[in-house]
Order: sequence, then C-alpha cells, then structure tokens
Amino acid sequence: MTLFHFGNCFALAYFPYFITYKCSGLSEYNAFWRCVQAGATYLFVQLCKMLFLATFFPTWEGGAGVYDFVGEFMKATVDLADLLGLHLVMSRNAGKGEYKIMVAAMGWATAELVMSRCLPLWVGARGIEFDWKYIQMSFDSNISLAHYITMAAAVWMFTRYDLPKSFRLPVTVLVALCVYKAFLMELFVHVFLLGSWTVLLVKAVLTGAISLASLFLFVNLVHSS
Amino acid sequence: MFEEASEVFDNMFKSSFPLTFIVFIPAVLILVSPLPAEAAHEFTVYRMQQYDLQGQPYGTRNSILNTEARTMEADVLSRRCVLMRLADFSFDKYQKALRQSAGAVVIMLPKNMSAMPQDVLQQFMELEPDMLTTETIVPVYFAIEDDELLSIYTQTLTSSSSQGSLSAAEVLLHTATANGFQMVTSGAQSKAISDWAITSLEGRLTGVGGEDLPTIVLVAHYDSFGVAPWLSYGADSNGSGVSMLLELARLFSKLYTYKRTHAAYNLLFFVSGGGKFNYQGTKRWLEDNLDHTDSSLLQDNVAFVMCLDTVGNGDSLHLHVSKPPKEGTPQSSLLKELEMVISSQYPEVKFSMVHKKINLADDMLAWEHERFGIRRLPAFTLSHLPSHRSVQRSSIMDVRSVSFSRHGAGEPPSGPHVDVKRLCRNTKVVAEALARVIYNLTEKGAPGDLQIFTEQMQVQEEQLAAVVEWLTAQPRAAQLVDKDSSVVSTLEYHLGRHLKDVKRHYVKADKRDPEFVFYDQLKQTMNAYRVKPAIFDLLLAVCIAAYLGLMYLAIQNFGVLYGIVRRLTQPKAKAH
Repeated sequence: MTLFHFGNCFALAYFPYFITYKCSGLSEYNAFWRCVQAGATYLFVQLCKMLFLATFFPTWEGGAGVYDFVGEFMKATVDLADLLGLHLVMSRNAGKGEYKIMVAAMGWATAELVMSRCLPLWVGARGIEFDWKYIQMSFDSNISLAHYITMAAAVWMFTRYDLPKSFRLPVTVLVALCVYKAFLMELFVHVFLLGSWTVLLVKAVLTGAISLASLFLFVNLVHSS
Repeated sequence: MFEEASEVFDNMFKSSFPLTFIVFIPAVLILVSPLPAEAAHEFTVYRMQQYDLQGQPYGTRNSILNTEARTMEADVLSRRCVLMRLADFSFDKYQKALRQSAGAVVIMLPKNMSAMPQDVLQQFMELEPDMLTTETIVPVYFAIEDDELLSIYTQTLTSSSSQGSLSAAEVLLHTATANGFQMVTSGAQSKAISDWAITSLEGRLTGVGGEDLPTIVLVAHYDSFGVAPWLSYGADSNGSGVSMLLELARLFSKLYTYKRTHAAYNLLFFVSGGGKFNYQGTKRWLEDNLDHTDSSLLQDNVAFVMCLDTVGNGDSLHLHVSKPPKEGTPQSSLLKELEMVISSQYPEVKFSMVHKKINLADDMLAWEHERFGIRRLPAFTLSHLPSHRSVQRSSIMDVRSVSFSRHGAGEPPSGPHVDVKRLCRNTKVVAEALARVIYNLTEKGAPGDLQIFTEQMQVQEEQLAAVVEWLTAQPRAAQLVDKDSSVVSTLEYHLGRHLKDVKRHYVKADKRDPEFVFYDQLKQTMNAYRVKPAIFDLLLAVCIAAYLGLMYLAIQNFGVLYGIVRRLTQPKAKAH
C-alpha cells in the first residue's frame, strides 16, 4: 500500500525477534556471530533439502483440489533435515543448554525471516494494493520464532545422552510434532476449509500448546537431574 | 585475504549490533527491485470519443486516471473517479459529477445491452450526443460489467454512502473495514494521431450503348459512431446500408454480364469512410472527381445519386431530398417507381418524401446526399428514419446482438438493431425500383407488380445477414479502421468480386488546418487496486505498537512463566 504500511508489517514481523534477542540475554554473550553461523547453516540445510526434493520428488500433477496425502507426508519427512541442522549448530557451540537452544533457534528463525518474508513484504506491502496477507505473514513469522525455539529445545533434549528413560517417549513425540506441524496444519486446512485468519489462530494455538509441553519437559529435565 | 575479510566482518558484527541492520537489511532490500503488485481486478475500459472537427473539440480531452473510486452517493467527488451504472445514469448526475470536479467518470454498461428496459436505452441514446458536444476535461470511460466490477461497485457504494448519523467509533470501524479502490489506467496521455487516412472504396459497372451514358451513383458510408469508438458497432447505421449496397452490386453485376440485360446506364458504387465525421470520404471523392480530373463519370451525366443510410429496420421508407425533384428527371422517375413498387408489392411499407433544405450554417451536414447537393448533383438519401436528428444514427446501443430465442418469442429487442427480414424487403424494393428505372419498364408497359428479382436473381437474405453479421463483429469507428484493417480489405474484396475498377480513395487531414483530428488511447486496461485510507494505517500502527508492547512484557517476564512451570513440576520431581 504505502511505505508506511511496509513499515508496519516489518515492525510486526521483526521486532519480536529483536526483543527476544535483547531480553534473552544473548546480546550479553556476544552471540551475534554465532547466530549468523546458525543462519548460514539454515541456508545450507535448505539448499540440501531443495536439491533432495527436486531430485526425488517429481512434481505431482494430480487433479486440482485433490490432496496428495502420501506425497505431502513424504515431503514433510524431508524436514527431518532441519533437526539435523539444528543439532549441528548446537553441537558446535559450547555452553549452557538454554544458551545453545536460543542461539540455534534465533539464528535459524531470523534466517528464515530474512530469506522467505522480507522479500514478499518489500514487494507486496509497498504496492498500491492492500491485502491483509502481509499482516498475517508478519504474525506468522512471530509464531515461527516460537516454533523454532521449541524445535531447538526438543532437539537438544532428544540428543542428550543422559536423557532419562521416562523422557524418551514424550521427547520423541515432541520432535515428531515439531517436524510434522506444517503437514498437520495443511491437512487441517484441507479438511476443514479454514479461512486465512482461522488458520493463523489454529497455528498459534497449536504452536503455543507444543511450546508449553516442551517447556514442561525442559524444566523437568533440567531441574530433575 | 578471506580471513582478513572475515575478521573485519567479525569485528563489525561483534562491535555494533544495530549497525549491521542499518547496513545489511537496506542493502538486501534495495537489491530487490520493487515489482508492481498484482491488481485486485483488471478490466478493459473504452474511452469516450475524442476528436476535433473543423477546429471544434469534441468529447473528453484526457486519458490518464489514477484516483480513488466513489459513487454518486458520496459527499465529496472532487478528484475522485465516479462510478455509475447505466441503470442509474442520467445527464444531471453526469453534470453534477463534472461540476464537482470529479477526477474521472466510469460508466458501467451491462453485458447484454438489449436486455435493458427501453426507456433506459432511449434516455442514454439521447444523452450520447450531449455528452460529446460538451467538451470534458477529465477522462470518461465505459466498462462492461462483470461480477468483479459489480462487487467493486457495491463495496464503493457502501463506503461512499453517508456516515453522518454514525458515532465516531462506528466511523472508525467503518474506515478500518471498508475497502477503497484506486483506479489506475495503464496507458499514456492521449495525443492526436497524425496522418490518419480515412479509406473509401469505389467500383463500377459500365453500361453499353453509345457514348455519354447516364450514371447512377449508389453510396453508403461504412463507419459507425457512438459515444465510445470501441463500442460503436453501428449495425443499423450503417451496416445495413453497406450490406444493401453490396447486395445491389451483386444483383446488378449479374444483370450486366448478359448482353440482353446489359443496360445503358453506368452504375457507380461508393462505400465511403468518415461518414460520421461530416462525410469526409465523400467530400474528398467529389473533389478528386470534379476538380482534379478531366474525365470522370461524375462530371458528365449523373442521373441521380442514391445514398443508403439506416435501412435495416422499420416499416417505413423515407426519401430525404434537399430539393424536390422536377418532373421528367430520372430522380422523379425513381421516386415514382419506388412509390409504384411499394404500393403494388409491399403495401405494408409507408413511403414518403422528406424535404429538408441544406443548411450551410450548420456544423454538420444532415445526410450524405447533401455533400452531393452542394456540388449540384441530383441526390437523395433513403432511410427508414424520418429525421436526420434521430439519435439511433450515432449510438453505441446500435448493435447486432439479437439472440434468436428472443427473436423467436416475438419480443423485439428494445434498442436499435437490424431486422434482416426488413432489410431484405427494403433491398428488394430498391432493387426493383432501380431496375425499373434502368430498363425503363413503366414506359414499356410493364405492370406494377412485375417482380424482376426472383428465383436465381433473388435477394439473398442469408447474404445480407452474413454481411451485417461480419460488419457488426468489430467496432468500425472511423478512428479504428485504418487502411490495412480487415474491414477495408474485405469490403474491397467483396466489391471486387462483382464490380470493375475497384479503387481506394484516401483522405488525410490537412497538416496546417486539419478538418478532422483523431486521438488515440481509446481502449485501455484499468486496474482497480484495493486500498485503505491513511487513517487505517495509523490505526494499524497503534495496534501493532500495542501488540509489540505486550510481546515485550511477555518476554521480559518469561521468568514468571518459567517459575510457575517449575513449581508445577517440582512435586513430580520429588515423587521420583
């Protein structure tokens, strides 16, 4: 619409990252460079995923409106590479658990924000045409920040060698939920034919629930041992 | 080297966190070129006429449009694009919009014009000339309604309607939820087309039997006229005249191929261009033939000139003359033959002669025959219209689109159109009367109900229908038909099949003192972008600031949540 509108969207998308960075104390650790490294890993992992998808998943040209359940599931499975990437980032950083998780998640989410949202916002939100989807996109980036923090935490817990037996199952479920969340959302949208605002709300609630579960596990794990 | 570079970057990143964003984010953003956003709706609009005739400007003078849409219900129209539907259109509203200095006017026409009620069509047809004669500074466009456009209209209507009775909060809510539309045309400013050539076509059938044979000239102009050139299909005026002319050419060329029926009359056929612009094509043709050449059929012995204009409908025929024909001239004999053929063969047709003197003080000539009358050639126009002022001759409502199911139900379409049956009957009348004059049948004692054009020589209704169909398949406004256009070349081909010496005549306006000037940008693509008012942006900014504040508080006090969770899990931990 106008540059002002772009500013609105950008602030909405970006400021929560900034606040999180500042308030989580990462800035005091001088963790910026590590975050950038995490972002670079994100880029590398995405490239690998794309290559893999392009090689092994030919474009499915089914009828319009038909949902390719198995194909989408397989594609979501490729997102397991994200877990590997996050693990890689965390294993290269020494430090406390929270610190490792936050660095990996911040770098990862910020790289995603820059790579996949800045461009559409710059092009779309500045145009004459007004559309709510840019505001929605900005909200979505906030949700994805929470999502990646949860995911990093889950990966961190999953890869701990001293993880108690009783934790194994819930953590595995949590990791699986994180990976297949996008797939589940798509399925939701397809089955219930949700509107764009409802999708955003469902996504926020789902992510919130997963995050809370993850927090419970994390707190339990950290303070039980 | 790389290590050095990385060190520099490292230091930069480490030393000042905000600096990186000042440097890098804009760099990334600027690298990306700003692309135009996709429009909410894209539709074709047709601009109102813009032309100068004899130095006098007509129609709209502008083509650029980039303003927000409003309907007539809005309080303030200045610098806004006013949307109007044909059903609600009136000259008062149009004038009101222009008086309030609206930025542009877009008139929405229904898809199926013939389904509109008669009075609406009639009213609009009467307004068309008025809209053109008043010079309009702002652009005026016509668009064909579709569902998207209607929805845009409805949304604009809701946001335009008065908000006087609402409270401040309601108005604020209204501003946030209502959609505005920014109308933008893609084209450039309209400018005069230089060196536009109007094409006319001529063809002849030469008679036999001695020198200095009398010549009968048959004339019809092929161009159409309406308030918007791209919407003027001109079915009745003058697709019907051209199709009748082509049919007459076919019939008489047949007669002229046999020695026994080869008459002692030259037939000259002329399909003129620029007929709606004071008969420019005819004017030049006459100048070329009478002033510049030594020998021409028009110079020697012209029996009469018959112009065909708007002959495809109605149950009456009028012979428009500027001087009543004297007894004994070929003109008066044709008049008598027409009367005889109509009275003996087609009694349902009302025939009359209409006498109107040429008014040289008028800007526009009334009928095409007046061009010939000025040059002292005996001429008249045949039409089913009783007066030259009839608005049907210059309306965008004059279209062919008559669905056959409607036709079959016996319900005539409300607007002007071509009724092929009547066109066929009129053609028959003219052909019979002409043949009686050419072969001098009445003096030879032939009865009044003698039919010449029967069996193989029948007037072919399908042929007429096909020609009308083809002519009305595309707009034929004089600004759109150039010398390479398919209309001209197909007409030339048609004439060439039956006539000899088919020639083109071009008219170009004089460079220094042009008699007519046409302008371009008559058809454009208009984009309707959904927009919100500036107050909405401010409102949004406040909301986002509040949201971010909440986020800040939430993240700042994350420890509280952490503590709660810890307290909740502690008993469990003890149980282990």
